[in-house]
Amino acid sequence: MTGAGRLLGSRPLVWAVLSVPAVLLVTVALTPGADLEELLHPSGEWSARLLVVALALTPLSLLLPRNRLVRWLLARRRAIGVAAFGYAALHTLFYVLAMGNLGDMLAELGATGIWTGWLALLLFVPLAVTSNDRSMRLLRAGWKRLQRLAYPAALLTLVHWVAIHDGVGAALAHFVPLAALQAYRIHRLRSSAPAFSGRQT
Amino acid sequence: MTLKTIAAVTIAACVAAPALATGKMTCDAPQAQWKPKDQLEQTLAKQGWQVRKSKVDGGCYEVYGTTPEGDRVEAYFHPVTFEKLFVSRRGEVLFKKAQ
Repeated sequence: MTGAGRLLGSRPLVWAVLSVPAVLLVTVALTPGADLEELLHPSGEWSARLLVVALALTPLSLLLPRNRLVRWLLARRRAIGVAAFGYAALHTLFYVLAMGNLGDMLAELGATGIWTGWLALLLFVPLAVTSNDRSMRLLRAGWKRLQRLAYPAALLTLVHWVAIHDGVGAALAHFVPLAALQAYRIHRLRSSAPAFSGRQT
Repeated sequence: MTLKTIAAVTIAACVAAPALATGKMTCDAPQAQWKPKDQLEQTLAKQGWQVRKSKVDGGCYEVYGTTPEGDRVEAYFHPVTFEKLFVSRRGEVLFKKAQ
């Protein structure tokens, strides 16, 4: 790899790039008279977008095994996943500050669009906390099982987005490709496991 | 399933997206007859609403605020009659005027 390639792939730079939308969002939030409600959608969308990318990379690498961009991104999937959590946390912070009191938040907790968001955030926490080498070593096989919580978290995120927003279009534009890629992955797993299907009969 | 299928599905999802995005409520009164938005805000304030923000959506006035009952909502009003048409909280419909 060239020097420029190494620099582009370096961890600080990857993190710097992933932080750009957050810096912009926080800058707007700190502007006097800022309406934090307006920042809920963009912060949430960045979280969902990064989650979709993180979950799409494995099936994409099955589909395009030689693609350099996919391989490059796959090597940085942990950072993408942790950033997805970071944006979810920022999204929640904006929500809490915009609401301003516990009573208003509890009053709308029953709305499908709200409890799904809280639950998705809760599922995200153990994922983010264990996204490091130490946790991988400590949890061994359990680590992968734990990280699979990302799938229900993604499903809850989709329901949260669709239920809360005016249109389902943007949500589907993110999640339909992911669903198609996951369907491809399942299709591949099934067709390439004759021993498994043989055992079932 | 191939790359082509996934690409086709992705493109379809992106193209269909704007078409699916619709407003929650539409009003079709001619704009010349509309009463000022400020007047709606004043009327609502007298009824005990706390209005945070208001704008035009789908030809109706859309208000973000707190109802006299203390619910933080988003509500639609007719721009001429100021009749309450639709109230929702985070996508949950609390009130919809019978058609």
